[in-house]
Amino acid sequence: MKIWAIAGITFKEAKRDRILYLLFFFAAVSISATRILAILTVGDRVKIIKDVGLASISIFGVLMAVLIGTSLVYKEIDKKTILTLLSKPLRRAEFILGKFLGLVLTLFVMTVGMGLIFLAVVYLHTSRIEWPLLVAIAYVFLELVLITAVAILFSSFSTPILSSIFSLAFYLIGHISWGLNLLIKKMHAGAGKAAARFLYVFLPDLENFNFRTEAVHGLPIPSSIFLYSILYGVCYTAFILALAILVFRRRDFI
Amino acid sequence: MNGRSAAARGSATLALLAVLLGTCAAFMALKLKTDTIVRKKVPGSSIIFIPSGKFLKYATFGYSSLAADLIYIWSIQYYSTPTIDDRFTHLDHIFAIISDLDPAFIDPYETGSLIASVEAGDSRLALKILNNGIAKNPKEWLLPFDAGHIAMMNLKDFDLAQEYFKECMDLPGAPDFTRRLYANALYRKGDLETAWQTWLDIYKTAPDEQVRKIASNHLYQVKSAIDTGRLKEAIGRYRDLTGRLPSELADLVRAHILASLAKDLDGQDYVYDPQTGAVRAATSPWKR
Amino acid sequence: MADAIRIESLRKSFRLGFIPKTTEILKGITFSVSEGEVFGYLGPNGAGKTTTIKCLLGLVFPDAGSIEIFGHPHLSARARQSLGFLPENPYFYDYLTASEFLAFTADLFGLGRREKDGRIDRLLKLVGLERAAGLPLRKFSRGMLQRAGLAQALINDPKLVVLDEPLGGMDPLGRKEIRDIIVRFKQEGKTVLFTSHILQDIEMICDHVAIIVGGRVVKQGALQDLVSEKVLFTEMTVAGVPPDAFRGLGESLSVQGDRVLLKIVEERRVDAVLSLVREKNGRVVSLSPRTETLEDIFVETVTGR
Repeated sequence: MKIWAIAGITFKEAKRDRILYLLFFFAAVSISATRILAILTVGDRVKIIKDVGLASISIFGVLMAVLIGTSLVYKEIDKKTILTLLSKPLRRAEFILGKFLGLVLTLFVMTVGMGLIFLAVVYLHTSRIEWPLLVAIAYVFLELVLITAVAILFSSFSTPILSSIFSLAFYLIGHISWGLNLLIKKMHAGAGKAAARFLYVFLPDLENFNFRTEAVHGLPIPSSIFLYSILYGVCYTAFILALAILVFRRRDFI
Repeated sequence: MNGRSAAARGSATLALLAVLLGTCAAFMALKLKTDTIVRKKVPGSSIIFIPSGKFLKYATFGYSSLAADLIYIWSIQYYSTPTIDDRFTHLDHIFAIISDLDPAFIDPYETGSLIASVEAGDSRLALKILNNGIAKNPKEWLLPFDAGHIAMMNLKDFDLAQEYFKECMDLPGAPDFTRRLYANALYRKGDLETAWQTWLDIYKTAPDEQVRKIASNHLYQVKSAIDTGRLKEAIGRYRDLTGRLPSELADLVRAHILASLAKDLDGQDYVYDPQTGAVRAATSPWKR
Repeated sequence: MADAIRIESLRKSFRLGFIPKTTEILKGITFSVSEGEVFGYLGPNGAGKTTTIKCLLGLVFPDAGSIEIFGHPHLSARARQSLGFLPENPYFYDYLTASEFLAFTADLFGLGRREKDGRIDRLLKLVGLERAAGLPLRKFSRGMLQRAGLAQALINDPKLVVLDEPLGGMDPLGRKEIRDIIVRFKQEGKTVLFTSHILQDIEMICDHVAIIVGGRVVKQGALQDLVSEKVLFTEMTVAGVPPDAFRGLGESLSVQGDRVLLKIVEERRVDAVLSLVREKNGRVVSLSPRTETLEDIFVETVTGR
């Protein structure tokens, strides 16, 4: 299928991006360094290893998704390789989806890599693999998938720098959704509150994919949220991709 | 005939718009659903595991006072959430971090000590937080002022209270009645001589009639305390000597225990009850 | 003869700049390309050549007008399957080798595995890149990239080949090779549409030509119709005869040693000059009648309007 053809070369291209290995290196260092950090801490050492480790996978994963994703489509337009591509019988939607899939594949490999290093470090300290950690990492990956879609959306019409800023803004907004809720509770009822409430439900809530706290503290996770989180991620990603395709379809390549 | 067929393109666009609206409605509904699922959360729990604010100071690259602001704002929300049962366990730690990040930020010391004393009921912790602030901001009158109040009201430790009030009464910006709090604390502690001196100073330097009256009343009180104390001691000696209580205060002079009988500040005699041996001032200091 | 391409009243405006200013690039382009011919599309820079091509290929969406490729709407899959495109200054994924790149392009057409391999080998040989097949495109020279581009344009054995400035920046040998390839396409029954600035090449291989100026097609037709066979003047180089002898018969353009270059406007005077040369025992070094070239037409069209 043509989407796979695009995904394939995107994967090949992303694999060659040096940023990827730089970030992976920093993630590996960060995760391994938790062993040293643990010595400085007052309190449970293992908790800090898990906390920093999971945070590293998340942060570096997001950086990878944003830094590579925002240049993915832009590069093709800038270097004009897109001209030979889109003059073929290839639908524009197939192009966007192919790029998305290629980057997701790349991130999958990276997440597995970082995850293995992390689990190894944890194993060294606790001599066991904990199921909640795997869940936390899996949902980090789901969050990365959504961020990738956002990066590609912006990449299809904006320069890499602006796209990166917008994508990171999306990520930040997604993590302070609860703050908006707090604000809404203190507002007086009326049009302003209703508008804010709509915004609150519409803007992304990336905390839905955050099971890091539960994994680290050994807190129980209500089983219903697993399914709803996945559906939320899938729907939001589909929404962003549909938007990207819509924007990309009518675009003139001067 | 233009386009793949204008109709085909148009219908594809419609399909995309349908997907757009559909997924949007879906994720919004899902968000409302996930909001209802209660997850055990300790907001900002990872802050507990930062060993000290000093480490955080380096990590915030020169934005430490901004970080202090943010953590402070967060802490207010955190402490206003009554459903978090164990929120006080790291009160000390959190406010210590804010202090490390921005030692001159005064509000957190106040707020922290307030939360500690009023909500957590831990006055010692409140003082600890204030002491930290005092150490880093020796010229700030408000902190020892608050500390003095906590010592006096909550702990009833008047010695500690007078130390605090003494510390701040001469600092720039301290209200003038701080001196009076100091004097009062001295009195309550039992250091009557210094209390008397202090109240005298206040009387002499009083800016208006009201303050002079207050000082005068307190002087009356202190003098009464000193005098009745001495009288009681004398009565005790009389009793040792004679085996019984004096019938009147003049007996003490006749027995050569006292040279003369002191009078209160207004020149009145002290009132003696021969049945119980109790001595007291003729009037209440506040009703003169 | 069916039309390979039929473009009617094509209009396109662009809104560019921070404060968007609308510029109309194509103001109503109409022309057609018959099946099996080589069509040259010329015009000065900025006239709208590349924009027309991009409209044709679905890279730019026209505001008005229609485009048909072999009778199908130009954006339809069937139309796209039957064409191949080589852009100006082609740039491809530089980390792929030539074969990998062609394989990827073949995938976009949905070609089967066996078909794919055979065709890739054949095409690489056709464009002379069979030895560089395993080299990453990053290491290709400009000429090699052009050839690779040509190969990818042919991967689906298209009936219509569209080339945007295929001869630009190539050395004379390269240009000859490309010209020969284009002629071969014609022999195979393919239709070729290409844009170029190099008018001599167009004159050499095109059947039909359209000249676009300021967003409009101002002249089009068969090359032989446009360029008349009228002789404008004759250039003759003569040796061994002093320049004064030719006074009255023609203008002497330059004198080098004993050689004189003459420009003779009236045709009948050519014979008179030849007689004179024989009389004076001179030698005719060269004789070339200068007919109207495409360049003349082009310059006249562009500046005349």
